[in-house]
Amino acid sequence: MSTDPTQPRTGWIAPAMAVSGFLLPFALLAGAWELLVRLGLPPATVPAPSEIACRLWRLAFVDGVLGRHLTGSLYRLGIGYALACGAGLLVGTALATHRILREMFSPILSLLVSVPTIAWVPVLLLLMGLGDRTVIAAVFLGAVFAIAYHTLRGLEMIDPHHIRAARIMGASGPRLFVSVLLPGSLVSILTGARLGIGYAWRALVGGEMLSAMIRWGIGKMIYQARFWNDVTVMLAGLVVIGACGLLLDRLLVRWVERTTVERWGVVMRR
Amino acid sequence: MPRNLRRIVLPLIPIGLGLAAWEVAARLGTVNGALFPPPSTILREVIGLHTRQWPERSLLLAHVAASLRRAAIACLIGAGAGIVCGLLIGVSRWVRRLLDPLITVLMPIPGIALAPLFIVWMGFGDPTIITIGAMASFFPITLGTATGVRSIDPQLVRAAQTMGARPLGTLITVYLPWSAGHLLAALKLGWARCWRTVIAVEFVAAASWGLGYMIWDASEYIRTGVVYGGLALLMLLYLLVERGVFESVERLTVRRWGMIRS
Repeated sequence: MSTDPTQPRTGWIAPAMAVSGFLLPFALLAGAWELLVRLGLPPATVPAPSEIACRLWRLAFVDGVLGRHLTGSLYRLGIGYALACGAGLLVGTALATHRILREMFSPILSLLVSVPTIAWVPVLLLLMGLGDRTVIAAVFLGAVFAIAYHTLRGLEMIDPHHIRAARIMGASGPRLFVSVLLPGSLVSILTGARLGIGYAWRALVGGEMLSAMIRWGIGKMIYQARFWNDVTVMLAGLVVIGACGLLLDRLLVRWVERTTVERWGVVMRR
Repeated sequence: MPRNLRRIVLPLIPIGLGLAAWEVAARLGTVNGALFPPPSTILREVIGLHTRQWPERSLLLAHVAASLRRAAIACLIGAGAGIVCGLLIGVSRWVRRLLDPLITVLMPIPGIALAPLFIVWMGFGDPTIITIGAMASFFPITLGTATGVRSIDPQLVRAAQTMGARPLGTLITVYLPWSAGHLLAALKLGWARCWRTVIAVEFVAAASWGLGYMIWDASEYIRTGVVYGGLALLMLLYLLVERGVFESVERLTVRRWGMIRS
């Protein structure tokens, strides 16, 4: 069977090529690293990638602790991020629709953004104790500003004619929000959501490391490994953190983008 | 009210009211004074940190200087490496294919998660903090430089080559100045990430100095005044560097060259 070379390759070949192209640099890096360790060049505190992979396997399937760490982390991330989405949308909409509020609070918002999220943790530890609540609050603070800011931006960019047209046709309040404001600003809101989940993930890891009463969490796993100087567990934890960060971004936010703004044709499909 | 005045005065209303309400509530005992010390007490404690051992040295300035020095060194290292990598990615398709996936995965890893690892490898203090800070600024600067280089009109490069510019000459006379706008934005972003990361890593890896260390130490001893004061200082310092350093660099380079309009 001959294929038409002018047609783009379809089916499984193109995605498979893309995935292997993505994984190749990691394979090269791991190979070079493995070789160096086998040659005995780095000091003994640098484990080989094969060792890290074995340990990861044991953590995940033999000891089974990785699952508990991950569910603990995802639980906190889910609650904190959901709260941040709700509050960010509300604050962003309020600031966009009321000029006086915007002029009063948007400089304060940008001032608060300049504080590193992790720097709130000492305050939160004092106010909310050493457990889950502090970490959830840190996740919330990490994500909320980006979402509020991009909601504000998105609403400001809507063509005022659309709003006027909807008003003339009798839409107001929640109806106006759902059928005009939200779809019109969704591209920007999703950018905020995407940035927000990245910040939230970072705040989560940092918060878990600093909160003493947390027992299960991916950040805690790394932090606890410090007491035994167990570099292999730390690196295994970093692999998990990197992979989860990528998956959250690609699967969650890309999925929302594909089912909304790309389907509506607001932005071009990538 | 004229527009500029309005923009300055309006935000001060909620800030002022908030601080006043806080002060009154803390003084009357409506909120726990140990957890929410009144703003006047916070200010007094921060000034106290400055004056306590004043003629010999100021503890406050020493903390600030330690953090700023670490962040500056880290950002310089990150910028050097980032600009080189960004230029390579921008110029060569193969380098881009190799480095792009690595950057995508490594960039979102929070700096503080690297801290335990580098503490084992390099010990507490400057080497660990500066290394992680440099890594934090490296990624955004690399990406920004690469974007800048790729946005250059290839005609310019060809023109320079026709007139006999060697590769290094093209780099210095064409690539760098023409990507300066993107580069400056990237440096700003890199600095912001570097500063945040340095403060965060100081929580767990500083031996004795640094704003992050100061805040963390104060929270361990429940000296809430210093914790809040430290947060306020973080905002102030960030604004100072952003407004003071980067805006003047921008004015002196890309704005003067007419690459972006003010």
